[in-house]
Amino acid sequence: MISSRGVTKKFKDKIAVDNVSFQFKEGEIIGFVGPNGAGKTTTMRLFLGYLWPTTGQISIDGLNPISNRIEVLKKIGYLPENNPLYQEMRVKEYLQFIAEAKEDQNFSKIISQVGLEEVLNSKIEELSRGFKQRVGLAAAIIGDPQILILDEPTSGLDPIEQDKIKKLIKGLKKTIIFSTHILSEVEDVAGRIVIINQGKIVYDGKKPKGKGTVEKLFKRLIK
Amino acid sequence: MKTLYKKELNYYLNNPIGYIVVILFAIFANFLFVKDLFLVGSASMKSFFSLLPWLFLVFVPALAMRILSEEKRVNTIETLLTLPVSETQIVLAKFFTLLTLLIVALLLTTALPISLSILTRMYLSEIAVGYLGAVFLGSSFIALAMFFSVQTKNQVVAFLLAALTTFFLLVLSTDFTASVLPKTLQDFFSYFSPSYHLQNFIKGLIDFRSTLYFLSLTALFLFLTIVDLEKRK
Repeated sequence: MISSRGVTKKFKDKIAVDNVSFQFKEGEIIGFVGPNGAGKTTTMRLFLGYLWPTTGQISIDGLNPISNRIEVLKKIGYLPENNPLYQEMRVKEYLQFIAEAKEDQNFSKIISQVGLEEVLNSKIEELSRGFKQRVGLAAAIIGDPQILILDEPTSGLDPIEQDKIKKLIKGLKKTIIFSTHILSEVEDVAGRIVIINQGKIVYDGKKPKGKGTVEKLFKRLIK
Repeated sequence: MKTLYKKELNYYLNNPIGYIVVILFAIFANFLFVKDLFLVGSASMKSFFSLLPWLFLVFVPALAMRILSEEKRVNTIETLLTLPVSETQIVLAKFFTLLTLLIVALLLTTALPISLSILTRMYLSEIAVGYLGAVFLGSSFIALAMFFSVQTKNQVVAFLLAALTTFFLLVLSTDFTASVLPKTLQDFFSYFSPSYHLQNFIKGLIDFRSTLYFLSLTALFLFLTIVDLEKRK
């Protein structure tokens, strides 16, 4: 479903992603972990065609995210890092805008699924961080995309909100790639782990069984 | 594109900045007209239209400076560019939003010539062509200001670059340039000045070359804006 072959992304002289190759299958939940600046966000942006690889090829359902940008974006729901939203808009207005852009008017179910009923008429700038994150998640889910790419979906949230978002992600029957710094989150949600360090994949495989094993693996690989 | 246009227009309708800029423009523009009416004793709109490029020099960059730079600053550009919409749709939606606001601002200046035409003889068709020229002029300035807005995350920088470039384009056909440059060069440069081409419309002529000039200038800067947005660093 998603494949990457020898993908390298350079920003001037700095290599952000270095010769990365993998294949993600339909229905997999992939935890994408790595230290700050490891290349997680860059890799995710490459999947979306938001960035172009310097070398290598990416394919989403057989389509190139650069030459078939619109078709690829119809298949992907994306929650960017730091969740940039139009703060001056009301929640309903924002979701309506996203729904119209994705040509899907039937998003009332998503509102209740994500738990946004009580803030629908509030301005986004007035919302708590948790609600803002839910708005971003709802926007990603609208249009019923096959793939969800979530860049640090629980970043900056309190443990209760984190649990709510985790439950939501687990309940979505889709191919999901999510990046996080919280290793316990990967243990709870992901079925497969990709660990990236300094732009290189240092681990790609099944989630090890047992509590705390992901952290041990991470600490062993990232020194 | 309709969705994006609606979203952009709603921003200006729900935000004081749009109203402030449009109303300020209308006040200054109406003042220019009334000034000529009472001080010079002329009911002609020629001097109003001649001064319009200088008003647009501030008004258009003030309106357009945030249009893409703010999206870049708060990174909502990532939200936009990861939606299934093309860069061309994004740029055109923003362009038509700004053009709508410019037309609204110009409409706010039409009350005086219309009411005066009841009291005195005024050539309304000539005035209508003048307004058409003003729309063409405004659209080229909008495209230019959008191009500078996509270059930077800083609205003030976008404003200054757009205003400065517009200023240089306007200066090309002024008496000052005429006194400094040789006649052949002056003729050559003035052809590239928006004021030179606006003169035909002020006279009531829909000149094909001048129309083409404004449309080309608009298309060129819109194209450059789209290309910049398509660039993936």
